[in-house]
Amino acid sequence: MSDRTNDPITLEIIQNSLQATADEMFAAMKKAAMSSIIYEVLDMGTGILDAKGRLASSGAGIPAFIGVLDKAVKVIVEKFDHPGDIQPGDVFTTNDPYQGGVTHLNDIVVAMPVFVGDRIIAWTANIAHNSDIGGIAPGSLSGEATEIFQEGLRLPAIKLISEGEPIKPVFEIMKANSRMPDFLEGDVWAAIASVRIGAKRLAELAGKYGIDTFERAMASFMDFGEKVSLTELSRLPHGTFALSEEQDDGRIYNVKITISDTEFVVDLRDNPDQDSGPTNTSRDGVMVCAQMIFKSLTDPYSPCNEGSFRPIRLLTREGSVFHAREPAPIGFYFETEVRVYDLMWRCLANHASERLAAGHFSSICGTFIGGTHPDTGRHYTIIEPQLGGWGASEGRDGNSAIFSGFHGETFNTPAEISEARNGLFVDRMELNPAPGGEGQWTGGHGIRLDYRIRVDGSFLTAGYTRSKVLPWALEGGREGSPNYVEVIRREGGTERYSFVSSLTVNKDDVIRIVTGTGGGIGDPKARDPEKVREDVRNGFITPERAKEIYGFAG
Amino acid sequence: MAEKTIRVATDVGGTFTDLVCFETGSDSGIARIVTAKSDTTPPNFEEGVLNVLEKGGVDPASVDFLAHGTTVVINALTERKGVKVGLITTEGFRDTLEIARGNRPDFFNLHYEKPKPFVPRYLRRELPGRINYHGEEMTPLDLSALPAILEDFKADGVQAVAVSFLHSYANPAHEQATLAEVRELWPEAAVVASHQITREWREYERTNTAVLSAYVQPIAERYLSRLAGGLKEKGFGKSPYIMQSNCGVDSLEAVSQIPITMVESGPASGFWGAAELGKLIDEPDVLALDIGGTTAKCSLIEDGQVKIMTDYWIERDRTTAGYPIMVPVVDLVEIGNGGGSIAWVDAFGKLHVGPQSAGAVPGPAAYGRGGTEATTTDANLWLGRINRDYFCGGEIEADMAAAEKAIKAVGEKLGVDADEAARGIIRIANNNMVNALKLVSLNRGHDPRDFTLVAFGGGGAMHAVALAQELGVKKVVVPAAASVFSAWGMMMSDLRRDYFVTRLADLKPGAAEGIEGVFAETEARAIRQFEAEGIDASKVKFLRYGKFRYQNQEHTTEVLLDSGKITDDRLPAIEAAFHETYEREYTYRLDAPVEMVGIHLVASAEVGKLTMTRREPTGAAADAVLKGRRKVDYALEGIHEAAIYDGEKLEPGMKFTGPAIVEDPGSTIVVHPGNAVEVDGYGNIRIELK
Repeated sequence: MSDRTNDPITLEIIQNSLQATADEMFAAMKKAAMSSIIYEVLDMGTGILDAKGRLASSGAGIPAFIGVLDKAVKVIVEKFDHPGDIQPGDVFTTNDPYQGGVTHLNDIVVAMPVFVGDRIIAWTANIAHNSDIGGIAPGSLSGEATEIFQEGLRLPAIKLISEGEPIKPVFEIMKANSRMPDFLEGDVWAAIASVRIGAKRLAELAGKYGIDTFERAMASFMDFGEKVSLTELSRLPHGTFALSEEQDDGRIYNVKITISDTEFVVDLRDNPDQDSGPTNTSRDGVMVCAQMIFKSLTDPYSPCNEGSFRPIRLLTREGSVFHAREPAPIGFYFETEVRVYDLMWRCLANHASERLAAGHFSSICGTFIGGTHPDTGRHYTIIEPQLGGWGASEGRDGNSAIFSGFHGETFNTPAEISEARNGLFVDRMELNPAPGGEGQWTGGHGIRLDYRIRVDGSFLTAGYTRSKVLPWALEGGREGSPNYVEVIRREGGTERYSFVSSLTVNKDDVIRIVTGTGGGIGDPKARDPEKVREDVRNGFITPERAKEIYGFAG
Repeated sequence: MAEKTIRVATDVGGTFTDLVCFETGSDSGIARIVTAKSDTTPPNFEEGVLNVLEKGGVDPASVDFLAHGTTVVINALTERKGVKVGLITTEGFRDTLEIARGNRPDFFNLHYEKPKPFVPRYLRRELPGRINYHGEEMTPLDLSALPAILEDFKADGVQAVAVSFLHSYANPAHEQATLAEVRELWPEAAVVASHQITREWREYERTNTAVLSAYVQPIAERYLSRLAGGLKEKGFGKSPYIMQSNCGVDSLEAVSQIPITMVESGPASGFWGAAELGKLIDEPDVLALDIGGTTAKCSLIEDGQVKIMTDYWIERDRTTAGYPIMVPVVDLVEIGNGGGSIAWVDAFGKLHVGPQSAGAVPGPAAYGRGGTEATTTDANLWLGRINRDYFCGGEIEADMAAAEKAIKAVGEKLGVDADEAARGIIRIANNNMVNALKLVSLNRGHDPRDFTLVAFGGGGAMHAVALAQELGVKKVVVPAAASVFSAWGMMMSDLRRDYFVTRLADLKPGAAEGIEGVFAETEARAIRQFEAEGIDASKVKFLRYGKFRYQNQEHTTEVLLDSGKITDDRLPAIEAAFHETYEREYTYRLDAPVEMVGIHLVASAEVGKLTMTRREPTGAAADAVLKGRRKVDYALEGIHEAAIYDGEKLEPGMKFTGPAIVEDPGSTIVVHPGNAVEVDGYGNIRIELK
């Protein structure tokens, strides 16, 4: 018999259990949450960290949240550094991007230390988008914000539960600052339940195998993550790659990526100054983007932990749009993040197209609609990202109607549930056959979604990019089509927006959400005529355009 | 000669068609059990059923009750052997089937491929007409375009039509009208509307369910009518009952209309067997584990009740979103981890077991049929847990040289010898199964230590004790004839239908009437259906579950309601029961309003179910059936000399302690050191852990 505390099989069994625990935390949170953005859209993530706050294992959810939790826990560990500051049963929280929160104030991180005896052996943590945390606009996000103070209540890495007892004043302050206090309370409790379940499992695991073995399993898991990354890194094209890209607002973003056997260096120093509006991101947020693209590029299937990301080095300039300085507003950080993510992707796609597809619709298309439910009299808020078209891959057409690379196990909201919950009508939800994305392999289609408002004085807030600068193609394919939102007024007239804040919409106005087709790959003339015939038959392209682009003879 | 009752269960699997026959004398109550196996005979599966009856010496004319389980539906789905389907849906929503939910479990993979819809866009057609979520008509249905749509379908070779409209769960009038018109205009086509299958909301899930049901309908109908015809020809005078995914059986006529409900019938009968066994031996809280050749499946049974849900998906895993089927299916977790699962070492020296399987061909290396990869079975053989001289009940001579070579190859990659590699394979396989068992217990707020593990299938008994130890379970039960346990479960099944209906209601005074209304309405619907099949209303038993949540939540928690009319004064107790159930599952409760989202009604009637008879202890000592002793490697507990017992000769009341192995032709029970074993009056083997 081998030594049971140190054999590779035991370590592996513990590592499998870490994964199972992160998944269990995810399931618990998803089922208990009150906001549809959490339980349906699954705008959330869970993770297990070591005593120092290094990510050991992550649950499902949004890839963009995987790399957030370690940064939050590290700030908590640093801040509560006196003996006795952290006790068994404590639960901490932060939502402040300038204090470990990474994203924006709506995203509340909840973290719990895992004790065995008086020793912290790990942390469990989760993050989720809360419907309203105060600020100048319903839903807390406003394109008008010029300081973070306008975006809601800041929870600067504080204790929420002390030795198992909720700190009531904190809960009261949180509820008093939210337009949707019941949702906020329910969602925060769902988060607490999730970290508690995770902490219980980890304590049992460490109790069973011993603390030393448990800690060794976590450390070797991270080393494994690093080994996988380094192996894949050696297979990538080496060198320095650069790209400049114009944005919808005319600004130019620049990136330089250097790949070697041991490092993946992302240089974003040469970029515009931070914005006066809320489309800035924290440095941590940009790091998350680099981690995501790195993971997709190396090995999407292996475990994702601190070790996986060790080869990444990020260079930013404080005061730039990619490294905002306090108190810059940051509410729409996600559109800037998805832009920098796409920038890195595009920069490398030309050199590693077998690993990266052509440009996607590439926007969160964050859409916020609210008002009074005509049947219940209660206030409702829709907070949702939109589905769109993905770019073509080598040898295959892109997916239609799927969330951007930022989202993962995210679900759209069924029309039947939306009509009941939100008291509006969904007149249609269909694929958008807009021209674009043609090629040997075509981009997938976006959607067209019509919300008909039932009550006067409702509001629309939206933030879409890739509204002017279109999804990019590769190797002679065609560019995709734009993302935008239209308001079709009852009394006539149609308005088109990409960024809009607190626009008033009234009964029988229709909010039409339109998302784009992804970019194509390869010369359209090389497309299999049988596939073109199918496209025509399915109404994705008119026979006239098929003739023009593909030489389709009918 | 005394009167006797003959009950038969036949189960069509991928390779074999199984038969179990119980012949019960009315005076003695003692059952004679016949089992038989013959080849499955695609595509004319009914031939295999008739063959196996003949092989078992069962005269169909003498059979009183026949239950039948089949994988025909799941096979048609996974092998894409269904028919061409046309979909008719609400204007503006023809792409719902393709949009699906937009999710992507494989979230770092930027080459992810979304599952393809079962109906291409050009065969998805729309009709004007809208119902709102209250069930009120907003825009009348306009059928004027229907004839042209059906003509197009015909021209395109469509064989089945699915109809699915928005909010049909609340009011099916538009679907019913369309259904009638399609039948009128095109009587030859198979047609199904979503409300016939489910009355729950979520249009993608409901539409996909209708589409998949239409996709398999002509195939299942043909299969069932041939089966009925073949049995009738041989003199069987009754109608067979068909095993369902909800652990009940249903009449052949009902299943022919909505065959999709058979989709998970295979595992369901085993889990129902576990629930019935638990009731029989007074262990109503059961963790049920079924380990077969390629997968392990588990389910949790609380207080004798299986959990039935409608959140079922095929082909869904960590890398793909799969397809939803919104029918009542026993809540189970299935993992790719069975006797034939292949052990492999990745590029970074990590050992994995499954999900790839060596299958029946070539099978484990020890089959000697050319398999070169080590499987769980090879490791069990190598460690002496399976008798190498009695492999597969003596039918196969174990090729130990091949097993050794395969296990050594794994060991070399790990830097250990064959013994250590085999132990590693068993430990990883066990860990995979422990995690699956946790998913159905801990993840749902249940402590496995409060449950009895019932293990069956070819491999269940081999791993059960090790898994129980890991989970803190104190009792393991291996049923008599564990390898044909699913067939036994089928014979214990009731005619059962689960009705799920979405209906929003709060729990404020005055609400009871509406809640009682939806139960009463659904019960009346159930009774009509049973009566139409000649079952008297007085024979129908109901279980009422409410699905509740805190206001604004989405996911519901199901609570079993006491029988009797729901009145306003009962609402506080119902609310309290919800809080309690919720807190157990989620560790907290809220002071928020509670609302009902829908109901789950179980309607069942006994249709000739088997009654088991207990035998008294014979007084014989277990030593009488001792076959010998051999060294067995228990992995974590070391190597011990184990007593080997002949499972076929065990008698009620026999007792012994581990380390021991019980062997019968279908399975091997691994009893760990210190375990206390007793054979009960039904022939079940009960193992108490220290």
